[in-house]
Amino acid sequence: MESISTLTENPKILVIDDEEIVRESCLRILEKQDYQVRTAEDGIKGLEILQEYQPDLVLVDLKMPGMSGFEVLESIFTFDATIVTIVITGFATVDSAVEAMKKGTYDFIPKPFQPDELRLVIHRGLERRKLVLETIALRNEKEMLREHFAAIVSHELKSPLGAVQQNLYVLAEDLDQKLSESQKEKVQRLQKRIQDLIKLINTWLRVISVDIDNIQDQFQQISLNPIIEQAIEIIEPHTVRKDIKISLKVQDQISEIEGDEGTLTEAIVNLLTNAVKYSKIGGKIEISTQQNGDNVQISVSDDGVGIAEDNISFIFSDFYRGNNLPEGERSSGVGLSITKRIIEAHHGSIHVESELGKGSVFTINLPISEQK
Amino acid sequence: MSKDVQLLIIDDDPDFVEGIQSILTKAGYAVDVAYNPKEGFKALKSKKYDLLLLDIMMGRGAEGVMVARKINKDPVLREIPVLIITGIREQMAFLFPGQPIHPRFLPTDELLEKPVEPDFLLEKVNHLLELAKEKKSN
Repeated sequence: MESISTLTENPKILVIDDEEIVRESCLRILEKQDYQVRTAEDGIKGLEILQEYQPDLVLVDLKMPGMSGFEVLESIFTFDATIVTIVITGFATVDSAVEAMKKGTYDFIPKPFQPDELRLVIHRGLERRKLVLETIALRNEKEMLREHFAAIVSHELKSPLGAVQQNLYVLAEDLDQKLSESQKEKVQRLQKRIQDLIKLINTWLRVISVDIDNIQDQFQQISLNPIIEQAIEIIEPHTVRKDIKISLKVQDQISEIEGDEGTLTEAIVNLLTNAVKYSKIGGKIEISTQQNGDNVQISVSDDGVGIAEDNISFIFSDFYRGNNLPEGERSSGVGLSITKRIIEAHHGSIHVESELGKGSVFTINLPISEQK
Repeated sequence: MSKDVQLLIIDDDPDFVEGIQSILTKAGYAVDVAYNPKEGFKALKSKKYDLLLLDIMMGRGAEGVMVARKINKDPVLREIPVLIITGIREQMAFLFPGQPIHPRFLPTDELLEKPVEPDFLLEKVNHLLELAKEKKSN
């Protein structure tokens, strides 16, 4: 967890300017105001001080001998983008000040300046710095809450269920000889329902707690076709139940992509699960792969109930579920949102075309890996 | 053969412990239980165990991790195979940000998710015991 810093009582200001008179007047004007001020006469020295001083705000002269003001600004952004920068400029170089602001500098002050002008610009700059730091602190806090919530859900909900299930396993074994067939069936149903519940909690936990971008650390060269075949295998029991046929149309010579096999399989299983879920009995699903230039395209199409136009924009949101789910089907409302996140973590995109009553086509585009 | 094989469970959920303990006892293992890390260490120091079944989420967080790390630092205890039984794999990801999802705490450990089916549990326990035996005879 990165440390949460807020603006200190005596904000730290660094002045980088080659003119001694400018440095001196900055010092004189600002030190009266409870600011800590340090100065440097060129970019190199300024950047040295920057590292250990960690200022809140830096005043940079654009025109200096040696390292230019622009270079100094760039190094400051790279070092810590939350540091507010203000450029000092002659009247003749207002254009370059505008240029600097386009690149992220917060403000500029033309010289020569009056003490009040400097105070005002600095005050505004520090307000900005305060806001930036507060936003970061809030964002961190939100992240922590999410993580805590996940831990609580996991421990308080999952543990008891796990304990119940563990004991059901034992009971089922102990009573194996004593129970009638219908009693055994009841025990099995109990186990099944608890297992579904645990699965559901796991899925929700993933939505809440896991930063899917983490999978990027484990990316490898992988080929898609085996993944698709594996996904079809996983989904098979469900297709049999509804008498649904999946046809597979893969392009043979398809480039490898850079990705994570586990989550990509999950993404495709999710799409296929939905296709089955929203299909009528005896429906048809087609999954295909093909390469278009630098992209590999995976399409999953079904002839099921389709999605109403009004709903299409919501289907990739957390906990959204379609309102025309066929009878007997259940949805946790997170499959597509997880799928989308997985695909985006792979630098790909997913979109859908659908017509109510006719079916849906989900299309994934993934960039092929650069190495040939 | 399992008669004199001595297992230790460290887990703070008595109901869950009950569940796995009876599976293991029925399979013929001798099973001791500790309901917190402190008790667990006392047990580990007092007796020789062939395998440890360790919960991760105990007490005020991932105290099981501390147990695993402490064991790993002890030249005698680190010889004991450790089977980790935890609530959820994904959870490991935010316990160890930036590390692989299945962190290897100890050279011989295995990771199982709660709840665990009896046959699967016995298979894993057996496997770890076999591995430890092989290692010893080498």
